[in-house]
Amino acid sequence: MSLQIPNFAVSLALCLLGPAAGAVEADSAAGLEFFESRIRPVLAEVCVECHGAKKQKGDLRLDSRAGWMKGGASGAVIVPGKPDDSLLVTAVRYWDKDLQMPPKKALEAQAVNDFIEWVKLGAPDPRNEAPPVEPAQPVVAIDFEKGRQHWAFLPVQRPPLPAVQDRAWVHNDVDFFTLDRMEKAGAKPAPDADRRTLLRRATYDLTGLPPTPVEVEAFVSDPAPDAFARVVDRLLASPRYGERWGRHWLDVARYADTCGNASDYPVPQAFKYRNYVLQAFNDDLPFDQFVREQLAGDLLPSAAEPERQRRIVATGYLAMARHFAGGDGEPHLTLDDVIDNLSHAFLGLSVNCARCHDHKFDPISSRDYYALYGIFSSTTFPHPGSEGKNRPANLVPLVPKAELESLDKARAEQLVALEVEKKAADEAKAAVEKEPESPEKKARVDAAAKAAAEVRERRQRVSETPLYPLAYAVSEHAPANARLQVRGDPKRLGEEVPRGFLQVLGGQPLPRESTGSGRLELAQWITDPANPLTARVFVNRLWQQHFGRGLVATPNDFGTRGQPPSHPELLDFLAARFVESGWSVKALHRLLLLSHTWQLASSGDPAADPTNALWTHAERRRLDAEAIRDTMLFVSGDLDFTPGGEHPFPAVTTWGFTQHNQFFALYDTRQRAVYQMQQRLRKHPFLALFDGADTNSSTAVRATSTTPLQSLFAMNDPFGHERATRLAAQLTALAPEEPKRLELAFFTLYARPPQPEETAMFTAYLAQLREKKQLPPEQAWASLARVLLGANEFLYLD
Amino acid sequence: MNRRTAIRSLLGSSLVLPGLLSELLAAPPAPDDPLAPKPPHFAPKAKRVIFLHMSGGVSHVDSFDYKPKLFTDHNQPYQVPKKMLDAFAKENRSEVKYYKKPGWEFKQRGQSGLWISELFPKVAACADDLCLVRSMFSDNADHAQATLGIHTGSVSFTRPSMGSWVSYGLGSENANLPGFMVIAPALPYSGAQLWSADFLPGCHQGTHVVPGPEPVPNIKRRLADPELQDMELSMATAFNRRHLASRGADPQLAARIRSFETAFGMQAAAPEAFDLAGENDATHEFYGLPRGSTKGFAWQCLIARRLAERGVRFIELIDTGASGNWDAHGNMEEHAPLARNVDQPIAALLADLKQRGMLADTLVVWATEFGRTPFNTAKDAKGREHHAQAFTCWMAGGGVRGGMAHGETDDYGNTIVRDGVHFHDLHATILHLLGLDHTRLTYRHGGRDYRLTDVSGTVIQQILA
Repeated sequence: MSLQIPNFAVSLALCLLGPAAGAVEADSAAGLEFFESRIRPVLAEVCVECHGAKKQKGDLRLDSRAGWMKGGASGAVIVPGKPDDSLLVTAVRYWDKDLQMPPKKALEAQAVNDFIEWVKLGAPDPRNEAPPVEPAQPVVAIDFEKGRQHWAFLPVQRPPLPAVQDRAWVHNDVDFFTLDRMEKAGAKPAPDADRRTLLRRATYDLTGLPPTPVEVEAFVSDPAPDAFARVVDRLLASPRYGERWGRHWLDVARYADTCGNASDYPVPQAFKYRNYVLQAFNDDLPFDQFVREQLAGDLLPSAAEPERQRRIVATGYLAMARHFAGGDGEPHLTLDDVIDNLSHAFLGLSVNCARCHDHKFDPISSRDYYALYGIFSSTTFPHPGSEGKNRPANLVPLVPKAELESLDKARAEQLVALEVEKKAADEAKAAVEKEPESPEKKARVDAAAKAAAEVRERRQRVSETPLYPLAYAVSEHAPANARLQVRGDPKRLGEEVPRGFLQVLGGQPLPRESTGSGRLELAQWITDPANPLTARVFVNRLWQQHFGRGLVATPNDFGTRGQPPSHPELLDFLAARFVESGWSVKALHRLLLLSHTWQLASSGDPAADPTNALWTHAERRRLDAEAIRDTMLFVSGDLDFTPGGEHPFPAVTTWGFTQHNQFFALYDTRQRAVYQMQQRLRKHPFLALFDGADTNSSTAVRATSTTPLQSLFAMNDPFGHERATRLAAQLTALAPEEPKRLELAFFTLYARPPQPEETAMFTAYLAQLREKKQLPPEQAWASLARVLLGANEFLYLD
Repeated sequence: MNRRTAIRSLLGSSLVLPGLLSELLAAPPAPDDPLAPKPPHFAPKAKRVIFLHMSGGVSHVDSFDYKPKLFTDHNQPYQVPKKMLDAFAKENRSEVKYYKKPGWEFKQRGQSGLWISELFPKVAACADDLCLVRSMFSDNADHAQATLGIHTGSVSFTRPSMGSWVSYGLGSENANLPGFMVIAPALPYSGAQLWSADFLPGCHQGTHVVPGPEPVPNIKRRLADPELQDMELSMATAFNRRHLASRGADPQLAARIRSFETAFGMQAAAPEAFDLAGENDATHEFYGLPRGSTKGFAWQCLIARRLAERGVRFIELIDTGASGNWDAHGNMEEHAPLARNVDQPIAALLADLKQRGMLADTLVVWATEFGRTPFNTAKDAKGREHHAQAFTCWMAGGGVRGGMAHGETDDYGNTIVRDGVHFHDLHATILHLLGLDHTRLTYRHGGRDYRLTDVSGTVIQQILA
């Protein structure tokens, strides 16, 4: 039955009542008759079961006029006279997937039409009697006190060092905790890793690159007791360190160079945040300050202009949130991505479940979510460009304020002048066009048109030429609390929620005198040493990168669904020490790397500690995507150590990407992989092949898949073949004699000399290539280099 | 030739040292292979899926959802709910629209008498194998989101693709080919997110095949001399085994040694799968594929049949990309050439599978991201806009009933009046046919268990054979 065919009775009623039919007139006999015959039976049969005396789903009752007039959790359900504005009509129409009633099966079309007509009619309803009252169901509230008993929410306690039997084994405080557990379990630690293994491990861990043969020699022949400590200091001081550890943070922050909306608009300024992160690690910026700058750098007092600008760039962390769709996007989802990321990155919690409902497992409520949401809805996020709005907006100028004003003013004046000029040119053109026909007219019209176009062009150029550098960063917006969104739907607003921190972590409200968004306060709550999570979560990330697995094996999830720590006392010890050290990341590296535990060999005793839960040995690890690529370039002499800057994106003035024609580019460089352009709608193919970070959501642990496609890459990709040829040439130049050359190859790739059997194997191989295949030496060596680069020993760290 | 024979061929050359020989020929240690075949939750009806995605939004009312009233009420006014107006360009947001008659004649087909239009005459002839789902609906009327939705179950956040879930749930039947392959000539809406494994292990990501000379990346041997590659691989294997022996048979090291053998196998198996030289002229003609051509849906469908034969678990074919597709805002006539591109090949694929006895355990799904409005803003409008409230997909083979239509829209194809099927329900049904319970196929990520169907999804019981 069509919506168009009016019901006879209703047409009649409308005719009788005329256009002014309102609520009172609606309750005419005809209207009431319509209700009784068409609406009441459906309400009684279908709706009242859940929206009546027994249940009040969505806080709504439909068993009385007062019930629907009061509305439900989503507000008014019937707007008399306006079916399109009535949620009840929306629900029965079944157009809106999130609001369909009755939930299991749509009403017959006739019944739907009846409801529409009834609402048009003003929703006449004689049921004025008070509905029977049944006690409301008790609301199951989150018990935050109980929730706080979960280990991760308890305060960090600095534990005493355990007493161990084998005191001589202990190198530093870390070892007390691991050895204690090994002794209690009757497990023996593995022997120490040999020096070459140790150096290769440390160099990859801290810089993502292998040691050079010279570095290997120097360390192996250094008898000083502090030889390894000096290696660690050398590596920590290298700029390569920030490129490595900055990348680990960029994984967590789901860094990308595009925004991820339906057209994947580029973000040409994103690299500034990336470089900020790398620099922060190189500078050993205290981690709490690093957190504050990323959340509220623009609000921190800065002594000098470069510092102020650097801190603005730091908030690129927030701006990095994903964008969605086209036009103005879906701001509530972008904010959800902000909250999702910061709660995982800093607190190891999943807060975003609470967007739609109280968290099912952790003590995090919807109010918590919207308390944070209000902070970010009071923040201006940059617009990256989108289909329909293809120019970026709300980027933050990186220029002293006074200069900014004068530059803006100068341009505004220039544009006014150009506007005048444009008008004059247009008028001149119009005047020429009106001239009577003459042989010269066409030339004169053309000249005038050209002049007018030229002014337009100039005006366009002036308005689009950047006057000063910009940051993809956030700024303050008019502060306001957010309203709760029913079931996460931004169109269904509930009560207002004051901005504040998570209740389970203290629930701090904004101070009364606060006039900002609340980001500054949030940054302080998160970095408050009394917050039990921030330090724990970060020291665990550091442990994970150095040991191959976190003390908490789920580094982004310290909630009840995550894994408990294998060594809770050690985790707390590290967290406490970290805060005491002034949140120094480099001090923490030293503490871990100089421990005996970190320096063990990777061959353990599988019987006593099958899963290495006691850290009796080192975990063997596959190199990650960046380390594989960078090493291949490095050993072939092709790695360009210049720090990366802006990507060669097309000029903003040309942007018109759409979902039909998405932005897509690959920019090949020889710089370190951390500087490669990475998109959101499409993973960089090499990074995708070797389990690179997800650019769409926080990556806490890189997968290490082993696939035939990776092996096909090793066998057939031109990149690998080129590297092998170049490596062979390098080796040949440095070591003209073949036995030496093989030794150099092993030193370069594996930080060790070949064993005699290996020398025999490869010498025989080379002979075979020469004799059977008649390969010239450079090709034979390229073949050998491919074998060495494809080997497991190249790809895995002991 | 597999790796073993390659290694054997090197014996004569005494390249490999005698001590390593026995090691090389020993069975590979049991690897921790995430792609190894896994048993389903219960006995499956389908062993594999061929998913045909028509990009841009195919009009349901011009193809599979017959609405006689739309013919009779052509240019009659229709008042759209305000909510619907989002699907229209800003200048077209008047609430009064006009019904627009379909551009193709409908006929009853086969024994079942299903009404299908002349847009797909050859597919229509397969009516008795088709299970039309005429009550599909989506959460979003934008291409990027809706396309993401039907592929991943989420219209906004990136999630693993359906094919990745299937690969994760069932593993791969053919170690020499990826378990999830996507043949798409162009970048689709939402890009490679459509076949992304996202948080599932990377080996479950779809392998994107672009029709042309190198369908799988790096599948072509770069070394001109095959024997040289053999020698290198044998040398690497020997060296890797030494390394492994001193490291207590670490399964990840062993798995990588094996992956080279698989890759070597793929070098032969994948080009073989893509090589149509062995298909006779009759088959080429049947699919409508000129010999030697790699263009068009005919090539995609014939390759899909070959991949299905070779045990690829989930094969997706996307007919076009993010442009030049079914998005007929301007003129419904644009549907005609797109339909011609796919009609004969799809019909041929169904018949071919059937004739080979494979249709029974191959689920063919024909999908699009949404339908098109039965009405438009102007009386003389020739196109149709996006319509997520109702559209049609169909399935065939693999345990679904043929010759039936499930679900129903109103008299004009505007809205669903019976048995609405959300893409979560479609996904639940596909998994069910593969022997997987969609509520049990989960993966722990970021502190919670995820599934393809999020917290929804109902298996469409009525269509199960």
